[in-house]
Parts: sequence; C-alpha cells; structure tokens
Amino acid sequence: MSASSSQALDYLELLPRQTHTKLYEQPSTVLAIFRCMLPHIAKTIVMGMLYMPTPFAAVDLEAWFRPDGKKEREKALAVLEQLHIVASQQDDKRQLSYTLYKGFARSLRQALEGSGTHRSFGVPSSIPDPNRVTIPFLEEYARSQWENILFFMVGSTVGLANANQLGNAVGEGTKALLKAGDFIRISNGRVSITRAGFTFVLQETNAQVWSLLIVYLKHAPQLGMSETDVLSFLFMLGSLELGQDYTTSTLSPTQLQMLEDLSAFGIVYRSSKDARTFYPTRLAVTLTSDTGALSTSDPLKSSPVGSSRPNANKGFIIVETNYRLYAYTSSLLQIAVLSLFTKLTTRFPNLVSGKLTKESTTRAVKLGISSTQIVAYLTAHAHPQMQKTQPFLPPTVTDQIRLWEYEGERVETTTGFLMKEFNSETEYRDVLSYAESLGVLQWKNDSKRLFFVDRVEQISLYLQKKKSRV
Amino acid sequence: MVKATRGTLVKCDASIKAMLLDIDSKNGNDFIIEDLDEEHILVKETKIAQLKQRLQSMMKERLKEPESSESEA
Repeated sequence: MSASSSQALDYLELLPRQTHTKLYEQPSTVLAIFRCMLPHIAKTIVMGMLYMPTPFAAVDLEAWFRPDGKKEREKALAVLEQLHIVASQQDDKRQLSYTLYKGFARSLRQALEGSGTHRSFGVPSSIPDPNRVTIPFLEEYARSQWENILFFMVGSTVGLANANQLGNAVGEGTKALLKAGDFIRISNGRVSITRAGFTFVLQETNAQVWSLLIVYLKHAPQLGMSETDVLSFLFMLGSLELGQDYTTSTLSPTQLQMLEDLSAFGIVYRSSKDARTFYPTRLAVTLTSDTGALSTSDPLKSSPVGSSRPNANKGFIIVETNYRLYAYTSSLLQIAVLSLFTKLTTRFPNLVSGKLTKESTTRAVKLGISSTQIVAYLTAHAHPQMQKTQPFLPPTVTDQIRLWEYEGERVETTTGFLMKEFNSETEYRDVLSYAESLGVLQWKNDSKRLFFVDRVEQISLYLQKKKSRV
Repeated sequence: MVKATRGTLVKCDASIKAMLLDIDSKNGNDFIIEDLDEEHILVKETKIAQLKQRLQSMMKERLKEPESSESEA
C-alpha cells in the first residue's frame, strides 16, 4: 500500500455503512479497493474467505497466525470491519466468527471471474474516433494541466511575474476547489499558498491527485452529485487503459458532469465538451495502482508528469556542504518550489543557484513546510552525482535544516483524544495494546493509566464490543 | 468507565513547558486541560494556535537573538 492510497483509505474508512454497501455494487470499485487499499494481510484474509460457504470461526482464523502476529491480525481485521467488508458475529455458544458482506463478496467474485453484466470497467467506444489522440499527446496534456495547477499555487506565492497569466489557464472551478480544500487563500485578488497547500505540492503526483480528488468528493454533495457515483467513477477510471477511447453513453448524469471537471485537472481528455468519447490519461490510470505515476520500463510511459516528477536517476539538485545549492532546471515550477525554502541568487538558462540559509528555512517553516519535507524533496531530486554518496545530502546540511526548524518550533502538537479513568490495570493494558496494534497510540503513562490516541473511532467501537461481551 | 477527552497533545522541553504553564496561569487557566508529565500537556484544541503565538512572543521577549549577519558571496 503506497502513501497515496493510504490517504484514500483514510477517507473511505470514515464513510458510513450505507455508502460502502452502495459502493460495493460495482465490481470495479471492489477490485480497486481490494487491490490497493487493503493491507497485505487483509487481502490474504479476504481471499481465504471469498469462497467459503459458511462463517469463518475466529479460532480458525487465529490458527493462521503465529502468536507474535496478533498485532498485524487485529490491525487487518479492524480495517476490514471499518470498511464493512467483514462482519463479526457471535453464535449461541458465544463463539466469534467472521463473514464477508454479501455485496462485497459477490462483486469481487464477478471482478475476478469476469462474470455478470455490470459494465463497470468502462465500455470502449465502438465508433472509431476521427480525431484519435496518441499516448504521448495524452501524457503531455496531463502534464501541462497538472503543472498549471501546481504552478498556480506556488508561483503566485513566491511572486513570479507571469504567475497571474498562468493562473488564467486554471479554471474557476479548480480555483474554487483549491480554496475549498484550504490549499490556497485568496485575499484582494492575490493568491497565497497555505500549510496544507505546501504539503500538497511536495507530495508525489499520485498522492496529489488523490488529495485533490478527496476535496472534490467532500464537496460533491454541494454540487448536487452523489458521493457514491463520484467514487465508483474514480475507481472505474483506475481500471481503464491508457490510449483507449471510452464511450460516455453508459455514464450517469453525475459522471458526465464530473468528466468536465476531471478534464480540467488533466485526469481525462475530451476533444470537445460534447464529445461522445473520453480518454483517460496517465493520472487516471495510475489512480488505483501501487506503482504510482512514474512506473514501467516503457520509455514512453516513464515520463508521466515530466519535469515536475523526474525519477530518481533524473535528479537535478546539487547541495554542497557549505549550503550552496545548484539546480539544473529551467522549469518554472521547480524554481518556484525551490525558492520556497532556498535563497536563490542567480539564474542561468539551464541552472539556478542559491543558498540554504537560516532565514530561508525559518521562512519556509513559518509557512508550514517541515524540515523533513525539505530534506525529502532535496533527496528525491538529488543529482546523479550526489547519489553516489550515501546519504545523498551532506549530513551537516540536513542536520542544520532540522536545527533551524527546531529553533523556530519548540513544541510538537498532535490532535486527538486522551483516554483516562480505566477501572483496572488489566483493562488499561488491554485497550492500550489494542491502540498500539492499530498504530494510533501517541503517548502513554503507565503509572497514571493514561494514554493519548490520534483517532478514537475504532477504540470506542472496541470498548462497546467489550462491554457487550461482559 | 473509560473516558475520552478531546484535545491537543503538546510535547515540549521542560523549560518550554514551564513557560506554557506560566502563560496558562496568567490567563485564567484557559488553555491547558491537563498536565500530563514533565514533557507533555493536554491543551484545548481551539486554543492551541493562540497558545503557540503567545509562546512565540514570550520567547522573543526573553531570548534576544543576535541578528544573523549573512555574508553572501
């Protein structure tokens, strides 16, 4: 499971059961969730249960795991229950057993067997398109649309002269969405980027696409669109093939409306607004894949969102131990991103140079970029020459960036819930170890029987279940 | 009965914590919900931004930093 799909998973987990049930009617959705949202152990459990005629006793499931795998097992089951894929029940003898939800099981079987007449994997257009477009064209289209959005966010903040002009290329709908997602703030017609926006820009493309789409999903009801429709369409897009044109005739009105917005993001391409076909771009087909937007050995496919995502061997940044930074790039987007945390001094046709200073770093920290993000960005884009040493960046520089951040930011905060007033040591230990296995535990104090978690939903479910069992 | 209290966990040095407690007591205990241990306190979620800001200004007052003389080449 990649970082980008875990974001989508977080979102999915919070949906109510009815939404899940509706979503699971589409085999393409079920397959996408199964393939890239579930942790590996959860996949194995689902696969094992898929063709079981009877409920699966919890004792038998436990037999699959080594005793030291308890943590992983509970985590996997918690995800499955949260997504309403697996239901647990007790029979008369108080034996716990698990079953797959019927809708999910049926759709997953259909997806795997290719049975049923659901058409949820998209229908290729039967009429040959006179204006057929090529894969390189689609790559270029996706890249320029997406870079425009990023540059719109970053460029206007750092005050590049032609940022406004580029901003015009970004549609009003997209701007509104960026604002709704709190990625940018617009005051007096001037756009400035927010903390969330920085995190967004520094993410990898696939994660960016998901972040934006999740904002889109959250606002779908306000636009009169059904959330399930939107989600199943996104999952369907993930299963389409690049370079193939698909017919719009099988889409629902909501999905037709979405096509327009998605083509503004560069996720799909349509030759005109009333074209009867659409093409998914690289951004769409990698939505539900682990490989991310830069994948495969095919040279054509290896440059997805080109200059903003050069892959590891195409790095362009050199950092010296004296904090000087040289970046071999002419891309305005990259220069804009660099200037968020670097004091850039000179620009040549293919090179910008500058220095990482205390001032530039603290400025970035104030805007909400963390030192980890800066270091990660520099590492990810390190020049091949830099990659010969391990670690890529000079340790003095990375340490100094961290120290600079620490000077400005003396407290570390986490929002969540403090759990207290446990009746007994056993109860405390039990709930604590459950929280630990979910990975939500942030802090604990054994002597006071207190602990702090960043998410409480599953813990409260667990406590309720415990209560009903006693 | 187990209770869950919503709030923001603040992790900091003992020295910073002393300053935070000071701010809290001077403002009618409006910020801190619970003092957890030497390095942790629980703060009202809605007040955290304000608390951070006050800490910043307090630090600025107390620690005079020498202006960094950047020598650019």
